[in-house]
Amino acid sequence: MFVFPVNFKLIMERFPMTTNLTNRGVAPGKKAFKKIYVAVLMFFVGRALAAASKVDSGMKKELAELPDQFSFKLQVLPAGPSLTVGKNEQSRFKHYVRSIPEDKIDVRIMIKHLDAAFLLFTFQESTARSFASDRMIVKGDLTQAISVVRCLNIVEVYLLPKFIARLAVKRYPDWPFFRKVWRRSLIYTRTVLGV
Amino acid sequence: MSSYHEFFCPVKILCGEKALEHIPIELNMLAANRPLIITDPGVRAAGLIDHVLNAFRESNITIGSIFDQTPQDSSLQIIKQVAGIYSATNCNAIIAIGGGSALDTAKGVNILVSEKADDLMKLAGAGILKRALKPFIAIPTTAGTGSEVTSVAVIADPDQNRKIPFVSHFLLPNVAVLDARMTLSLPSQMTAATAMDALTHAVEAYTCLGKNPLSDAYSFAAIKMISGNLFNVLQKPNDKSGRLALATAATYAGISFSNSMVGMVHALGHSVGALCHVPHGAAMSILLPYVLEYNLAKGNKDYQTYVGELLLALAGSEKYAKIPPEQRAAESVVFITEMKNELFRQTGLPRTLKETGKVLQEIIPEIAKISVGDPSSIYNPVEVDYEDALTVLNRAYEIQ
Repeated sequence: MFVFPVNFKLIMERFPMTTNLTNRGVAPGKKAFKKIYVAVLMFFVGRALAAASKVDSGMKKELAELPDQFSFKLQVLPAGPSLTVGKNEQSRFKHYVRSIPEDKIDVRIMIKHLDAAFLLFTFQESTARSFASDRMIVKGDLTQAISVVRCLNIVEVYLLPKFIARLAVKRYPDWPFFRKVWRRSLIYTRTVLGV
Repeated sequence: MSSYHEFFCPVKILCGEKALEHIPIELNMLAANRPLIITDPGVRAAGLIDHVLNAFRESNITIGSIFDQTPQDSSLQIIKQVAGIYSATNCNAIIAIGGGSALDTAKGVNILVSEKADDLMKLAGAGILKRALKPFIAIPTTAGTGSEVTSVAVIADPDQNRKIPFVSHFLLPNVAVLDARMTLSLPSQMTAATAMDALTHAVEAYTCLGKNPLSDAYSFAAIKMISGNLFNVLQKPNDKSGRLALATAATYAGISFSNSMVGMVHALGHSVGALCHVPHGAAMSILLPYVLEYNLAKGNKDYQTYVGELLLALAGSEKYAKIPPEQRAAESVVFITEMKNELFRQTGLPRTLKETGKVLQEIIPEIAKISVGDPSSIYNPVEVDYEDALTVLNRAYEIQ
């Protein structure tokens, strides 16, 4: 069998761009807008969870079933925005702006990539649909994870107008006027002010 | 079609005549030569384990030990005990022979021995395992749970009276062996219950939020095989071909729901099983038509279409063509209800929670409360809260 001799040195001199590609890897690019959007929404969802846990009866009921010092983290893999929330001594949610030690986190809901998180936070996919489509990995007690999802649904109903919230949750609840309007106002105020 | 889905089933399936005799070569290919056999007293008493032991004749495999005391509900304590036996007898593989309980026990044991842990609860949940487990071969003796192809193990915690799910791709067996000899002696009521369990898996997988074309294909095939063979097998229990068809259907249903999940029937059924110790298959059979009715009443048009399509697999093309499209979903529910009634007549399989003799009406609120926290509920196409669960359970309590 005849083998053509290949002068690699000549190729590298004649085609410097090619050698750059073969010698160097391709660094991952950025998706700055999506990252910032998801980060901002996660921040306000965290605050809203804390706010809603102070005023909403449904949220209080969910918290009562969760263990003391329970905490969960919703994060975008591999190193995207994240949201960490814990249950405090008063049985309310507390939003941790900085992450807490990993061994203190009971449930981790990890969204597999930034675009999946963007679909979720632009309400093109509901939380349940996102779960069912394997866009998330859950580590920890699944029953507690389901409780977290129900809390997120409550917050979405409060924060979003009905026509958007309907996309985010499986069933838009039929809440009495007081719960819808008064508590929504309280939650909005607390979310914006962070109290 | 779902906007995105994943499908994963790396289990090698050995199916048909003399399938058991292929186990030694499979162990060789997994670099294992000393398996621990995990089974239950019923399998031992039925002589099924002898088929497996005979399959090792003229092989280079030594059975390390046989544990045949797996209870009806796999539990943390039993798993710890069996893991100790695995280590003490220097085993390097696990063979599970039995129904869902034996298979789930084996999965739990595999977690402990592979992770070298002694507290299974620390590894509970989804996505906790990070690496492959020891070689594991599953030989189902019921045509029901599909546990031989699922990445889930459900283990009872008797102290807290609840069932704990373990979810990981690493729990999947390396090999599943379907041999008609292993289900030939299955009593008629258990044949019926396990077949209805498989039917429920297939129906829920076809209609829940995680459905996708691949899981649909497996579901459809499973439903067709069950409806085409179940009553024949009940009439002729020694029909090997029919038994193999039911076993294959159960495996297909397992592949389907493992890649698309289940819904409200399982959310309620797990709680009924945990609190009242109703066998899983019986609970599925009882709850399936009531949940379908409930979901149809509250669900969207897509759900109605999916349930309607099931009629083709359930009743055949002639009946399907005769029923107008808008009536097919309701007819599917009627067909399943009639199946239930016929199974009750032939085998005594309970049709309602009351007929099980194990469920008191007073405990239904407690069942509803626990079922809302079941992970399966998130995949149900219709939201499930306490009131919804209570409604369905009350409907399923006795014949209205």
